Amino acid sequence: MVAVVTAFSCVAEPESQFIARALRRRDSEFIGRMVSRYHYRLLRYLVYWTSRREQAEDLVQETWLRVLEHAGQYNGRLRFEPWLFSIARNLAIDHLRKQQTATARHRMCREDEAGVDLPAPDFESPFLAAARSEDAKRVAAALGALEPIYREALLLRFQEEMSLAEIAQVAGAPISTVSSRIHRGLSMLQTSLGGGADAT
Amino acid sequence: MPLENHERARLLLHRSLIEGISPEDRHWLDAHVGQCAECARYADLSARAVRALDWFAIELDPAAALRVENVVRTRAEEMRSAESLAKSLWIGTGVAILLTFTGSAVTWRILASLASQWNLPSRVWQIGFAAFWLLPSLLLALLPLFRRRLLGEHSDSKGHAT
Repeated sequence: MVAVVTAFSCVAEPESQFIARALRRRDSEFIGRMVSRYHYRLLRYLVYWTSRREQAEDLVQETWLRVLEHAGQYNGRLRFEPWLFSIARNLAIDHLRKQQTATARHRMCREDEAGVDLPAPDFESPFLAAARSEDAKRVAAALGALEPIYREALLLRFQEEMSLAEIAQVAGAPISTVSSRIHRGLSMLQTSLGGGADAT
Repeated sequence: MPLENHERARLLLHRSLIEGISPEDRHWLDAHVGQCAECARYADLSARAVRALDWFAIELDPAAALRVENVVRTRAEEMRSAESLAKSLWIGTGVAILLTFTGSAVTWRILASLASQWNLPSRVWQIGFAAFWLLPSLLLALLPLFRRRLLGEHSDSKGHAT
């Protein structure tokens, strides 16, 4: 295991340093290729956070603009992905906070004016939209019901295949917290797949 | 089979997926799952839950991806040109400061040598040196004070002309 980690670090180090240099140089050709390379992964991560496709697409662009602004902070000693995802995460959280504040304010105004509550947002969950089978629909419902922090932990561990330390770096949380989030998320998915009492 | 064994097996199953387990634990887990149908089902369910995440493939919109790429590229180019302009300005400022100090030193020496040749008192050439450096700046600073007057006279002369 240690050998694998060491070998990976040796392979990853030059690439991350190359990326750091290209970002500092504002190499538009290289940055363009990076945007294209990470587009799907970043979009998927942000969809897991926001549950909204359109918002996730806007946030992908904002993430890259923020990457350009803070390029000097990335020194290339660590892998690029955790740094990129942590920027996306901060933007997603800011966005969700603003959205919640705006919704609460709007709701208060409407209640003051007419005493009527706002209807539920009219959009289809991207998880349900992607679900093709019954099993997938059950898992989609479970994913939709999970809090974004659990969805995020599952995605980073099993789809991005990040180590717990890297996930902790992205989430700004201790490794033990990250581990328990993945455990909890996994248990909920198992339950939705028919584990029921067995799975919990 | 004791209940603790099932609990340990489930804990190890999750841990094996999340952070990995030691070879001893793996050996024990494999042996337990091999003889416990309930834990084998739990292991299958855990693996299915992880695989289930791959079912949610988001369809990419190539036009949106290209749009983002173009915006980011353009911004990178703008930043690069702005930074290169700022760099040139800093270099220019540095060179100007350097030339000012060097020029002052050279002028001081020249004036000192001329003053000694012409037997001028040191105060005279030193005042001359100060005036040489300060007069252009003073004139530029005073220019705005007389600007209105100069412009007024100019417009008056124009008014008379028309």
